[in-house]
Amino acid sequence: MPKLIRYPKQGQAQLVPNDWQVFRATEGEESAALTPGKVIVPFTWWTSHGAKEQYQGRALKGEISVWFAPEDDILAHRDVILAGLKLWPILAIDFPVFRDGRGYSTAALLRERFGWDGELRAIGDVLIDQLLPLSRVGFDSFAIRNDQSPDVALAQFNSVAYQFQNDWRAERSQKQASLK
Amino acid sequence: MAMYKYDSIDQTLVDQRVAQFRDQVARRLDGSLAEEEFRPLRLQNGLYHQRHAYMLRVAIPYGLFNSKQLRTLAHIANKYDRGYGHFTTRQNIQFNWLSLENTPEILADLAKVQMHAIQTSGNCIRNITSDPFAGVAGDEIVDPRVVCELLRQWSTLHPEFAYLPRKFKIAVCASKEDRAIVAAHDVGLYLYKNESGELRADVLVGGGMGRTPILGVVIKRDLPWQELPNYLSAVLRVYNRFGRRDNMYKARIKILVKALGPEEFARQVESEYEHWVDGNSTFTNAEWTRVAQFFTKPAYKNLNALSSKEILEQAASADQQAFTRWLDRNVKSHQVPGYASVVLSLKPHGTVAPGDVTTEQMLAIADLADQYSFGEIRATHEQNLVLADVEQSSLYSLWQSARQQSLALPNIGYLTDIIACPGGDFCSLANAKSIPIANDIQKRFDDLDYLHDLGDISLNISGCMNSCGHHHVGNIGILGVDKDGQEWYQVTLGGEQGLNAAIGKVIGPSFFAEDMPDVISKVIDVYVEKREPTEKFVDTVHRIGIAPFKERVYAEVKRA
Repeated sequence: MPKLIRYPKQGQAQLVPNDWQVFRATEGEESAALTPGKVIVPFTWWTSHGAKEQYQGRALKGEISVWFAPEDDILAHRDVILAGLKLWPILAIDFPVFRDGRGYSTAALLRERFGWDGELRAIGDVLIDQLLPLSRVGFDSFAIRNDQSPDVALAQFNSVAYQFQNDWRAERSQKQASLK
Repeated sequence: MAMYKYDSIDQTLVDQRVAQFRDQVARRLDGSLAEEEFRPLRLQNGLYHQRHAYMLRVAIPYGLFNSKQLRTLAHIANKYDRGYGHFTTRQNIQFNWLSLENTPEILADLAKVQMHAIQTSGNCIRNITSDPFAGVAGDEIVDPRVVCELLRQWSTLHPEFAYLPRKFKIAVCASKEDRAIVAAHDVGLYLYKNESGELRADVLVGGGMGRTPILGVVIKRDLPWQELPNYLSAVLRVYNRFGRRDNMYKARIKILVKALGPEEFARQVESEYEHWVDGNSTFTNAEWTRVAQFFTKPAYKNLNALSSKEILEQAASADQQAFTRWLDRNVKSHQVPGYASVVLSLKPHGTVAPGDVTTEQMLAIADLADQYSFGEIRATHEQNLVLADVEQSSLYSLWQSARQQSLALPNIGYLTDIIACPGGDFCSLANAKSIPIANDIQKRFDDLDYLHDLGDISLNISGCMNSCGHHHVGNIGILGVDKDGQEWYQVTLGGEQGLNAAIGKVIGPSFFAEDMPDVISKVIDVYVEKREPTEKFVDTVHRIGIAPFKERVYAEVKRA
């Protein structure tokens, strides 16, 4: 299981145990592939299978969360997601490759537009040098790729003390400075 | 000096960014960071890997810098490079011969004079460009620099828009003439004041050069300046979510705007913008005031405007002709009586790459800026430099000094004031060389009387479809193409920058490098024969079309 960093909105970044498995279903795969225990399923899998009794049961036990792919248009699935937010203990966003920046906007929208204040996890190609911007747009949980050094990763969050934009964690630094 | 000065927040941010990059370089060098994963990081710090070495592009926000900064650039050229730097078509400067190991030190040197290389490359919001005559131009509607600086800060290290589908360029114009090619940018802003005297912006989107040249269209009018971060965030969020990522040649915002249609794109932006309007990201008056305090007018003297005759009388009689030419081409009008703006030409005929300056020239220009222009310098997208606030009574002595440094060629706006990218001599993206083509054409037209007779003609050269040399908007555009491993050059006519911005039309099959001076000569011959009195080259092209040019050029050269 990948190493997991939690960095709560108010708090320190630290390594924590990871008890969620990521389920990467391919088209047509059924429940046989869904591992027991806590599992994060693709959002598209949830929209086609989530209504089934067996999964509703597991969801009610808090065993199912969803992850969004870069191409998932979350605004177009607003109602499904708003209903799901009551069931899913955490949310995740996948980065098939770290250079695909769509997940940053997805995260910002989940925080701003859907009011999600639970855990939001980055999964997939999650690398040391993107942790800081990821943490700013709304991620507070990072399943870093296996080869990434946790110590170097933990040092990233405090590497730049100021910011020029409002984000999920703080206001732009110069706004306050302008009032002096 | 009218320049933004870093406070402790700006300085800390840039210093920490240097430390962050130092750590990234160290991990790259010890192998723990793979090149594939380092690449976007170094690009976001302006560092390219070129044919021979690393190239570092240093940001000059909206083209404005000072003598102290230029001396640091000279120091970098001398210590880490081969004694020169290259001003780019986006008002930045780049160094071509660096090693990776040295870049953290170079960035630390830059940070000491409030400079950096942040976002001069990469798929992020790039350095914002504007009018090099901001604050002094006679036709200025408002001073764009406060907005430029506020947007520079807003775009710097923006967390949501660091991994866009492709690069994102913003240009700002606030004068009657457009000297920033606003319509050829991903986002262009025209600033003005409404009837109540409030600063507003018209927002253009979807312009760009590259493989698919297209001019931007206005999708929002009358946007209050305070709303700029909100509206731009909405534009960028729609682009970040829906811009194409499957093909880098179709990834710019212009392709998305074209695919959706500007109206549908604007509608999507508007429905995102609804959530931002008047929100926490809105610029405040206090923020304006904090930034605007730096852009006050310099301490101008109370002078009388001099007549052309009085200016000319400064010169010794032997210099009269040459000085007159320079006054005519390189000296521009100013808002304040008794002052003028001077363009230093970085386009000597046939000897260096357009936009190149040596260490010695940099140091000399820094001295000239201190002596004549409040220590301030502006870079133009045409790859020249401007001393914006020169007393008319000092023009002759400035001219003499500039001449000693080969910076006084009176060719601004002429055919030889060529815009060119570094091309195949340096750039690993290029299909063909640009610099030798520019130099050969400059040598062919090395006659100032003839150039004067030809008047305003822009000639822009790009070594590949990325169009860094802005060939699409050159009156004459030259594009390097690769066919079966050979370098060829395609010619376009009728491109134009400014308010009448237009994309040039291809005249036909491409040519060998050695034919290019002849091709350009023939194009010019047609113009000379067909023009009406006082008609500019580009107007003749628009009036008679490209057919007569085509006929002449291909009558004798049969290639490809």
